[in-house]
Amino acid sequence: MAESVKVLPEEIQDIIDVHEWDMRTREGVQRFRDLKAKSLPSVALDEDLMYESLIPMQEELIAEIRRRYDEKNQGV
Amino acid sequence: MCMVIILKNLGNRPNTKLDVMTNNDSILRFVYSTQGVCPPEIHFKINKDILEEVRFVGGGCPGNAQLVARLLKGRPIKEVLNYLDGIDCRDQTSCPDQLARAIISAANGDLKPAASFRTHQDMGSYTKVGLIGGLNGNRRTLEKLLEQIKAMGVTTVYCLGNLTGQSAKNADLIKYFRKNNITAIQGSLDWQFAQSEVTDHLPDLAPKDRDWLLRLPQVLNFQMQNKKAIAFFGDYIQGLPGFSDFEPFALEMNMVCGLTNFMQDETVFPALEAMVPQFETDIIIFSQILQWGHWHVGGKDFIGVGPAENRERLNWGLLTVESETVHFETVDMAA
Repeated sequence: MAESVKVLPEEIQDIIDVHEWDMRTREGVQRFRDLKAKSLPSVALDEDLMYESLIPMQEELIAEIRRRYDEKNQGV
Repeated sequence: MCMVIILKNLGNRPNTKLDVMTNNDSILRFVYSTQGVCPPEIHFKINKDILEEVRFVGGGCPGNAQLVARLLKGRPIKEVLNYLDGIDCRDQTSCPDQLARAIISAANGDLKPAASFRTHQDMGSYTKVGLIGGLNGNRRTLEKLLEQIKAMGVTTVYCLGNLTGQSAKNADLIKYFRKNNITAIQGSLDWQFAQSEVTDHLPDLAPKDRDWLLRLPQVLNFQMQNKKAIAFFGDYIQGLPGFSDFEPFALEMNMVCGLTNFMQDETVFPALEAMVPQFETDIIIFSQILQWGHWHVGGKDFIGVGPAENRERLNWGLLTVESETVHFETVDMAA
């Protein structure tokens, strides 16, 4: 899963912070529960749980990141 | 490795995320097995070159031992060793001499720091095991349950904490355990009792009984045919000083306690199923929430051990492994 994020184009990497949580740790489990996730792997964007049990297509993930970026930067 | 990935701060230049984590790695805890003196173990902590805490466990003169511990606490190791040098009690050794040997062993690296929790491995392999939970300091309940378990031909019994309760009868129960050499697993209240200086809100308990509780395994590891099993109380173990998420059985504990809330949250079972291939064990037994239960997830068996007595009924659990299949049932009897 982390690999699919690492291979995102550089211009996308520049506008995101990635945090990978290890489910073997108490901290990872707490984050999993905070996000109300149910299965693995899971991906959340800005605290919104977006993908569960699947690795999104790169295009789909990029589109969602761009949509959020544009939304936040309206009028900037 | 399974993981959750969070992408955040979208729409702005990435923030520099600085995670500063601190720990108490400089404080090391040691357990030294003595030779030739009354207490079988000395527990102590060293913070850099300062002796932080000393406890002579399991025998000896509790008053003197406490005095020694108080006098030595917070002193540099070199100074401590001067005090301990040349004291004989019998057979050319003494508790102070054993403490000196322990400190020297720790300082030169021969004695390794203790694991954060105490694990005991039962070397036998069983097909049937009786499980008792939540005795609440009640010896009579234990006696009745053991009688019935024995009558059913089950010879291996494990008692999961809490053994003690908010009861003046705890000492009587502990005496019975000691006398009959029954395998017990420490619960959180048992652990609180075992802490010598944190008992203001608990009934009195003699030092030798506290020491017995302190030396109980916090995780029991045993074999049922080809299946590996562990039994533990619950999440207080994760709060013990120095606990690491990467110690043996820590993953099983984290999944039971943290992820599934002791198997009460079935919505996260898909995540549990993804994690179980990394388990070291096949059967995971816990007793914190005082509810009987058996869950089979991802090829592993999770067993919840309920209270020994409930509404004037006595209960115990019969765990059986036959032809590589785990069966579990609760057995009920009149109190």
